[in-house]
Order: sequence, then structure tokens, then C-alpha cells
Amino acid sequence: MEFAGFDRPRPSGGTLTATALKILVAGGFGVGKTTMVGTISEIRPLHTEELLSDRGVGVDDVSGVERKVATTVALDFGRITIRQDLWLYLFGTPGQDRFWFMWDELALGALGAVVLADTRRLADCFPAVDYFEQLKLPFVVAVNCFDGARRHDPGKVRRAVGLDETTPVIMCDARNRSSVKEVLTMLVTHAMEVR
Amino acid sequence: MTDDDPGPLIRLYGLTGGRARPQGEAFDLVAIVATVHLPQEPSVLNPEHHTILRICRRPTPVADVAAGLGLPLNVTRVLLGDLRREGLVSITPPKPANQSIDERTYRDVLHGIRRL
Repeated sequence: MEFAGFDRPRPSGGTLTATALKILVAGGFGVGKTTMVGTISEIRPLHTEELLSDRGVGVDDVSGVERKVATTVALDFGRITIRQDLWLYLFGTPGQDRFWFMWDELALGALGAVVLADTRRLADCFPAVDYFEQLKLPFVVAVNCFDGARRHDPGKVRRAVGLDETTPVIMCDARNRSSVKEVLTMLVTHAMEVR
Repeated sequence: MTDDDPGPLIRLYGLTGGRARPQGEAFDLVAIVATVHLPQEPSVLNPEHHTILRICRRPTPVADVAAGLGLPLNVTRVLLGDLRREGLVSITPPKPANQSIDERTYRDVLHGIRRL
């Protein structure tokens, strides 16, 4: 039986195909990627998490990240419905080196990426910055201002990370919806400019 | 949350007959799945297959199918592979960003984010 009533692409208007766009949220372990996705998503982020065991603590360096008790070992994603036929998906990239293999698939066709940084462990975001630079995928660096974390001005972060002048740097609070909206707005605007 | 209990994971792969990967071409997380036919012989499909066919009456990205099922992505992909092999769903891979994202799409996305 054929379905006739779906909102499938209409013959007369070829652009009505349903489209899902990807934005990646990358950065070091425990930097707040899952939080950022959850703050803005209209659905509860889908994820598989595993509590850190004693063995896990040896693998995942938790120095300076006292309060994080679970780490994402699979994938988090959230969704924002833009129009009936257009969705924006936010994918939190796996924060540990052993999950790098998932990045290529995630990055394929992506609109852009948010690299989330923690000034206490700024070097943790270097691999993500290198990756997106090589891929020429538009990205912004968002510094998650944790309670008690030292505040840096964007210029200092830019120099410390070695970013070019065009890549935006923004201070943010991954728990705050309007702050995350600001980060995403900056990313999409940047992606428009450099495409 | 009880992480000691291995039961659910074993049951999950029971759904796929122990398979961890789908047959044929892999699906992108945002490939669009659409139900194109209903099965002739319902008995060959399990309830999860039917749930997918119901979800995908409206074209739906792979990631959302997994969310709708409440199953891991890998398990979902295996089940989608079954349905594709049976010709019950179509799976449209996403186009490269420079083809799928035009000026209007960028503006719609910006508008959509601002109104959240």
C-alpha cells in the first residue's frame, strides 16, 4: 500500500524536501557540552552515559573538574524545529580521544561547530580547534564561564588558542538559554559570512 | 539508574538478532527516513519495526527515529537496514552543506534560534 497523505516532496516544488541540519558541540571532557545541548533542545537530549568507575578516572583526567560524576561515552543530541520541514540538530561530540572515529560522520555536511572551552583547561579544546580548522568547517569558540572559573577576555583566549582574527570568541554560560542562543546566533551568522 | 544490570543491553541486541551494524550503506544521523510501504506479512517484523514505520509516516531523521524508539543509534540503524531491505522505507542521505544550506535557510535558522 502506498501512502498518499505524507508531506513528501511535492512534484511542483522540489525544495520542500525535509532537511535536518547539524551543529556540533565539541570541546574537552566535562566542559559542559551535554549541558549546552540540553539547555537549548526542545527534546530531552538523547544520550548514553556511563558512570565513571575507578578505572575510568584513570582514563579520563578529572583534575579541575570536581563536580562532573558521569561522562558521555556515546552521543548526545538535541533538536530545534525551525520550520515544519527543517530541523536543527545539536550533536555533542564525544569528549574523549578514543571516540574520535565518530567525528568524521558527525562533521559531514554540518552547518558548523561550537568549540566549548574551559579557561581552567584551555588546552583541552585544541584538538577540536585543529580538527575544524583542517576541515574548514565554520566554528566559534565559546568559553563556558563556570562558577569560580577565572574570567578571560576574548582577546586573551584568541591568542592563547592561536585563532585567526575571523573566528569568533564568545563568553557563555552553557546552563543559560539566552546565552546559548547568543552562541548559536553567532555561529550561524559566522557560517553565513564565510561560506 | 542501575548500571550493574546487563539485561537491557542484551535484550537490545536481541532485537537485532545480535547484529551491531546495518546491512548495506550506512545511514547518516540526519538522513531522512520515510515510510513508503506497509508490510505485506506483518509477522516477519517485530514491534520496533512497526514503530519505525509509524514514526516515519512523516519523514524523520535517523537520530529522531532512535529518540522515538528509545533505542541506541546502532540498534536503530540495524532495524532501519531491515526495513530498507524489505523496501518499506526510503532513506535520503543529507546533501553537503554547501548544497543544502542556502541564504534563505541560514536566515530561517537564525530566525528560529532567536524566537526560542
